[in-house]
Amino acid sequence: MKGVDTRTAAWPTLMVFLLPALAVYAAFTAYPVFRTFYNSFFNIADLDTARYVGLDHFRALAGDSTFRASVVNTMIWSFVAPIIDVGTGLLLALCLYAGVPFARFFRVAWFTPVLLSYVVVGIMWLWIYNYDWGVVNATLRATGLGALAHSWLGDTHTALAALMVTHAWKWAGFNMVVCLAAMHSLPSEVLEAAELDNCGWAAKLFHVVIPLLRPTLLNLYILAFIGKMKVFDLVFIMTDGGPLWATETVSTYVYKRAFNWNTFDLGYPSAIAVLWFLVVIAFVALLTWLFRQKDRLEF
Amino acid sequence: MANAEPFADRATRMLRSAPLAAVLVLYTLYSALPFAWIATMSVRTTSEISANHYAWPTVWHWEKYRAAWFDSNFGTYFWNSTLVVVAAVAVVTVLGAAAAHCLARYRFRGNRLVYFILFSSIIFPPQIILISLFQVMAGYGLYNSRLGLTLVYIGLQLPLTVYLLEGFFARIPQDLFDAAKIDGYGDFEIFVRIVLPVGMPAIATTVILNFIQLWNEFLFAVVLVNDPGLSTLPIGIRRFMGDYFQDTGMIATGMMIAVLPVIVVYAFFSEKLIQGMTAGAVK
Amino acid sequence: MFKSAPSARLPALAVMAALSSPAFAEQTVTMWSHWPDEVAKRTFVEERVKDFEGANKECKVKLQFIQKADLYTQAKTSVRTGQAPDIFWLEPDEIAFAQNGYLEPLDGIVNMANLEDFAKRSWTYNGKVYGLPVEAYTVELYYNRELLKKAGVALPASMQLDQAGFTEMVKKAVAAGITPFATGVSDRPYPGAYFLQEMLLRKLGPDDYKALLTGQLSFKDPRVADVMTWVKQLVDAGAYSKSFSTLKLGESHYYFHTNPGALMFPIASWYTGRAFVPPDKGGQPKDFPLGIMQYPAPTGAKCPECKTLAVGGSYVMYSRGKNKECAGKLLNSMATVENGNKWMQGVLLQTGVRTDPAKIQSIYAPYFRELQERNAQAKYFIGTPLHYMAGKCADAFSQVLNRAFPSGQMSVGDAAGQMDAACKA
Repeated sequence: MKGVDTRTAAWPTLMVFLLPALAVYAAFTAYPVFRTFYNSFFNIADLDTARYVGLDHFRALAGDSTFRASVVNTMIWSFVAPIIDVGTGLLLALCLYAGVPFARFFRVAWFTPVLLSYVVVGIMWLWIYNYDWGVVNATLRATGLGALAHSWLGDTHTALAALMVTHAWKWAGFNMVVCLAAMHSLPSEVLEAAELDNCGWAAKLFHVVIPLLRPTLLNLYILAFIGKMKVFDLVFIMTDGGPLWATETVSTYVYKRAFNWNTFDLGYPSAIAVLWFLVVIAFVALLTWLFRQKDRLEF
Repeated sequence: MANAEPFADRATRMLRSAPLAAVLVLYTLYSALPFAWIATMSVRTTSEISANHYAWPTVWHWEKYRAAWFDSNFGTYFWNSTLVVVAAVAVVTVLGAAAAHCLARYRFRGNRLVYFILFSSIIFPPQIILISLFQVMAGYGLYNSRLGLTLVYIGLQLPLTVYLLEGFFARIPQDLFDAAKIDGYGDFEIFVRIVLPVGMPAIATTVILNFIQLWNEFLFAVVLVNDPGLSTLPIGIRRFMGDYFQDTGMIATGMMIAVLPVIVVYAFFSEKLIQGMTAGAVK
Repeated sequence: MFKSAPSARLPALAVMAALSSPAFAEQTVTMWSHWPDEVAKRTFVEERVKDFEGANKECKVKLQFIQKADLYTQAKTSVRTGQAPDIFWLEPDEIAFAQNGYLEPLDGIVNMANLEDFAKRSWTYNGKVYGLPVEAYTVELYYNRELLKKAGVALPASMQLDQAGFTEMVKKAVAAGITPFATGVSDRPYPGAYFLQEMLLRKLGPDDYKALLTGQLSFKDPRVADVMTWVKQLVDAGAYSKSFSTLKLGESHYYFHTNPGALMFPIASWYTGRAFVPPDKGGQPKDFPLGIMQYPAPTGAKCPECKTLAVGGSYVMYSRGKNKECAGKLLNSMATVENGNKWMQGVLLQTGVRTDPAKIQSIYAPYFRELQERNAQAKYFIGTPLHYMAGKCADAFSQVLNRAFPSGQMSVGDAAGQMDAACKA
């Protein structure tokens, strides 16, 4: 083996492999991130002229009630929705793990919504929630529950929940597949011993399955959490933040302040983006750290 | 999972647990019916739909697909999406694979630091680069161009690509490389002749993941392109919905045009697609 | 109102014309317009562009119709990059475009003598005029004559009810299973506030109303509170439809005239743009019993004859456009009395371009007469609330007065408090 060392290479060789990717990263991720930090200290009503305002934007953020509402909504979404997504996914995986016929078909069918774009899912669910002819209200009326028919996306009390349901519809299949894969990789006698051939055995679910799948579930939770902290498309298409800021998220608010309001200023939305960037990093670090305390979960 | 249990036994067992069967059927309906509903609307005219939103098509108006494709510009949107996404996926795969190989195979100072920097940007909220990318693209004359959008897409998917491929390439047995080196392969030959062929399953997985994510991308496409003639499909559908919101039937047709390629691929390669989409979560 | 040929009036134009000899390079003007779904307006614009291209061989026009919300987003994004279209569509509430230097002043480009004074004022910033005000409108209260009969209500000769009479009409309609107002706000920041705003204008009179819109007067003023309390009573009585929040503007038209039908439709006089087209294109049914009544006079109204008149869709010129010469000529070619008449006749809607109403002939002439009757005694207040608001205040107007308050999700006190917090100077 003399002279054979495949673990080292000359710097020029390394650079040929690495440099193109690093260049793209520098130009389209690193530089824009720094530029946004820089922007947040300026008032940029026009691309060619920026006026230094120091920390004014950050001070204004403290008193911005729309920003507060958007943070609260995003937080609710980020903490609650992943539980729905992952929980549904886990239950579905349990059903399939019980060895039902056509398991493969169900797995493929349930996964389909994951592949659809938010635009398609958003429009589809706008129609499903339509007050006059949507599926939800039509079903309620047909079953004599017409009194419960509701303007689901128009009511401040139900709009956010309605969006979360849509989100869970899209993502449950994803979580199901991952849970199922994790269950199959467990030593089979453990689960078989638990005789899981039914979906509703709460005790076994909580005492056997969840502890065994804990690392996977936490991993999925963090993934979903990150996804929700970024959520934009679905809100933008379905409610545009309304009614009364009930579904406004940080992402939609940044977008509106940058490209929809007639203030034209790019500095203030940059300040929101910076603050939110730090919050997301902090939360992900915190969650990862918390979960690692017990499981040494690799994320 | 090869289940040796005879089908009849399983069916009997399933019948014993009626609630389970009910859950299976109900959830399948729940995830499939909205899609089927859109599919029926896509071949019905808007006036037929207004009369009854849930009726089965009596006359199948396939010509609506033609109309959407040619008269409502969905053909243009489709072409734009294809061009941008295929180019971005091709480039990001090559760049990502090269970088992943370098990080997975070679020992050098700063290796883990570079890996960490690339990998950690997966969690960045998009707004942190959205506004400044808009400025940068405008500054370089890449605003409102397919090339600009392609470049941004390459940057967007690069961290995930490197992260996934690095994980896989690192598991290629070292013996392969040692043997290749003895045979006189240079560093680049090793990459092209060993890493790429051996890593093909993983590469295919990332290609699928990147393709689906970019095909459905919305936020950057809406900010960085404004010419309707350069729009991608998600933007095109949303614009069409804004312009002709009453034309429910034609919107449904447009949605089907956007979804069909994905569904067709899914029908043939469902396992590979599922594997691709969940690659980031299962490690 | 007719002026003779535009020969000596505009030296600048003469110079431009001289420059554009056949040797001059051909220019392609890009132009974005709203109104993709309004056939009459769309046709009007397409014809003007065609006429212009026919008369100016050196200019080509690339005309695109884009729904307002998308058009605004795209315009706001692209003006900052130097890549906005040469001409695009705006309403005067977007005067911020001019304040930020993105618009070319039209003085010296468009013949100002052919524009109405109120319309010029709506587009004036720093002494210059920035928009070609093709569309103007009054805020009207349309109703369905037959449903009114069905509800058992008769209107007085003045066509204006008082507060008590109006309340009773709303209650009778609800009792008869008829939705009183067909409004929908899902894709617009203003229609839900039309009724409330018109009531505030009549109650306060133009001066105090303007003070309210500009943050000089509190929404907690007792007169404002009176009006809001009354409107809240109507809301609670079921004045607006259940699908109010998710109904789009176009859908609300359909809701009013076709399915399921509503008694009244408080909307601007551009109602015609979507309604006066064939029913299979989403227009009102043939022989639809359309009427126009006056908005009611709230108790203690200071100015019951007041009414909102505003400039709507206008065309502006991008200050960094590369084809300003052709763009300017195109805009000027649209600003003639003849074209003003064509607009009125084709779209049956007011315009900020000067017109000669005597020449209007149309199958909808009776409608137009009724519209003019309703406006005969009116004292106009120029501009809608959003023309006076910006940023946070405009956002609060859209969310609170346009959406949450009329859908019954907010109390009078909360709504007033939120408006003051966002708008009070």
